[in-house]
Amino acid sequence: MHVYEVFVKKDGRDEFRHAGALEAANDELAVVLAREAYLRRAEGDRLWVVRRDHVVAAADDFVGPNADKPHRHHDGAAVAARRKASRQSQQ
Amino acid sequence: MARSWATMEDFEAFLDGGGLVEADDAMPDAYRQAVFAFIEMHANSELMGALTERDWIPKTPGLRHKMAVLAKTQDEIGHGHLLYMVAADLGVKTRTQMLEDLFAGRSRFHNVFHYRAVTWGDQVAIAFLVDAAALISQQAVFKNCSYGPYKRILRRIIAEEGFHMRLGEDRMMRIAEGTARQRQMFQESLDRWFWPALQLFGPDSKPDDMLLRWHIKSERNEALRDRWVQRFVPMLQGYGFTVPAPGLRWDDEARRWDVGPIDWAPLRRTLAQGGPDSARRIGEAADNWRRTAWVRTALSDGNGS
Repeated sequence: MHVYEVFVKKDGRDEFRHAGALEAANDELAVVLAREAYLRRAEGDRLWVVRRDHVVAAADDFVGPNADKPHRHHDGAAVAARRKASRQSQQ
Repeated sequence: MARSWATMEDFEAFLDGGGLVEADDAMPDAYRQAVFAFIEMHANSELMGALTERDWIPKTPGLRHKMAVLAKTQDEIGHGHLLYMVAADLGVKTRTQMLEDLFAGRSRFHNVFHYRAVTWGDQVAIAFLVDAAALISQQAVFKNCSYGPYKRILRRIIAEEGFHMRLGEDRMMRIAEGTARQRQMFQESLDRWFWPALQLFGPDSKPDDMLLRWHIKSERNEALRDRWVQRFVPMLQGYGFTVPAPGLRWDDEARRWDVGPIDWAPLRRTLAQGGPDSARRIGEAADNWRRTAWVRTALSDGNGS
């Protein structure tokens, strides 16, 4: 038996989302069980199952540093303030 | 392992700050055991509930309700699958070990499945009162549960339980609008099931309840029980039935119903597998597991697991 991770998508909106996991003997049975356990009332119309041991997971300390890169953002505050001041001076 | 905490204080600070624990985190063992035991009991209860529900598929009146009961049975088996998977990922027991423990009477399931459903009225009472009680406690767990995989799987379980509860009230409404004999049947079922349903919430939470401290549960048992009482006492009375609580009174000052003293001995008996129908239920579940071995073999890679 293998553990499969189940991903579901509703057509036309959202990305594929992780729904949960299940145990199945092979790919064919995994989609059958995934449909019966996770899509019982049309929660999605597209379904992926991926064997858990095929998932490539990045280490937290590899992903982590990108939480601390403020120079990749811009809140636009300084420019907005300048525009506002400019509009007011024109009135 | 994704994350680890140097001390229990650090871990509890993480939980108090609304942190969600994931399956591959190096959580403290006491937390792992506590969250596992909680999910295992939920999984067991779904399976035991599904088996009772299944017994009533052939006896359910009318094709529409029969199909709904069939769907509900499938939902509950599905919930069992989802929950056993989430529990197994904690690495305490495999799914097979959990099932073996259940069938050997070594693990727990909800008190209500230690009683026998004798009439259709009983099934209606279970669908109406017990499903609502289960839903109230699951919603309270879902709201603030610190274990991420359980919280996420509860979202879909709660959505499906919502269908079951509406179905239960629909059946109740029909029986209430039925003949005198049907009403009498439901009153007798209410007499049997009111207290077990109320006791599903358990006795008042202890001050040192670790499930609360670790945000596995977010509300105290007595608060959940009271929510159920305030909602169901007037509803049952509105349908013209008698709530079988001799001490029942309306507290005009507090604007709330008080059901009077609760005898917890029946609950304690069910927790020790000594309920009125415990032995038969567990035996039936074990027999069912053996009888369906061929299905698992057909769906497996040949080793029957």
